[in-house]
Amino acid sequence: MSEIITSNLFLKFLEENNFSTITGVPCSYFKDLLMYLDKEYDQKKIKHILATREDEAVGIASGVAFTNRKAIVYLQNSGLGNIGDALTSLAQLYKLPMLLLISYRGLLPDKDFPEHSIMGEVTEDFLRALKTPYWILEYETWQETMKEAIYTMEKLQSPVALLVKKGVLSL
Amino acid sequence: MKGYEVIEKIKGYINERDMIVSSTGNISREVFHILDQPQVYLRGSLGLQISVGLGIAIEEKKRKVLVILGDGSLLMGMGSIITSSYYKPSNLKILILDNAKYFTTGGQKTVSSAINFTKFLGSLEASFKISKNASEESINQDLTKFINSKGFSILHLKIESGKKALSNITWHPEEITKRIKKKII
Ligand SMILES: Cc1ncc(C[n+]2csc(CCOP(=O)(O)OP(=O)(O)O)c2C)c(N)n1
Ligand SMILES: [Mg+2]
Repeated sequence: MSEIITSNLFLKFLEENNFSTITGVPCSYFKDLLMYLDKEYDQKKIKHILATREDEAVGIASGVAFTNRKAIVYLQNSGLGNIGDALTSLAQLYKLPMLLLISYRGLLPDKDFPEHSIMGEVTEDFLRALKTPYWILEYETWQETMKEAIYTMEKLQSPVALLVKKGVLSL
Repeated sequence: MKGYEVIEKIKGYINERDMIVSSTGNISREVFHILDQPQVYLRGSLGLQISVGLGIAIEEKKRKVLVILGDGSLLMGMGSIITSSYYKPSNLKILILDNAKYFTTGGQKTVSSAINFTKFLGSLEASFKISKNASEESINQDLTKFINSKGFSILHLKIESGKKALSNITWHPEEITKRIKKKII
């Protein structure tokens, strides 16, 4: 088992890269991060906005991007099924960059959670079909990966995704 | 009153710093042609207008953000009005133009008549929340109270169907974004 990316360092990294807002719908893979965000983190630096659906979160992040600022959206890959139109007719069409932090459910650790198995199988195909560049976040290389993702996001002025497997951001 | 007649009245209530987010279909087209430019004319993303307005409002606290959307759009993204009421940014104003129809796609019925809007809005955390028939007699008074309200506000207007013959929005979405970013600076 590798170590987990500490929530503190993760949010600091986002601060240093000028993210102003974090929004999304929870997944247990983000439990530690979301707990830290609401209990210990100073939200004057990065605001946390709750959303009722993943497409709503992409809408909020799009509003943020219209103001020349940047938001990160967290979602479970099940929620990927909810954001197709938000990406294609809003964020991508209007050139609104944002970082999508997507939990990668439905792999081996989720073998007892059949609700995730089909989306788990098609997650990467789905992102490719939506023409959304993605990276798999890993403990050892997370900062380089995120730098590359943010660089691409800025260059394309469009959403990019980070896939988060079990144990990377939360135990 | 018809939707575009309400939009014509709004002219007198917004200034050049204010930001309007308009919804999919006829409403965006009417806002584009009738009100000062540029505004955030959304062409797609039905159901996401309020969330886009919320995103702008939380970042640009000194700017009034007016979201103008149809009943079809409200119903598709119903959670967003709840989220907005939770954060209630004082600069966010939501105007619902309710013709009980998906007018843009041919006038098919929506289910909006199942909502008692006075009760529904009454249950939300907003400093101004009114549901009315749009009428020439009271529209100016309603818009004044709604737009000049010091807090988060919601105005639901029942309107008659009808549109003005207007050409398409001539700017590509990328151009809309460029102009909005320039306006923000
Ligand atoms: C996700 C999605 N579904 C369907 C449509 C097609 N569509 C475009 S406008 C519209 C009607 C919207 O109704 P409403 O918000 O009440 O506005 P009105 O046309 O009545 O002014 C529909 C269904 C769409 N653009 N996006
Ligand atoms: Mg309608």
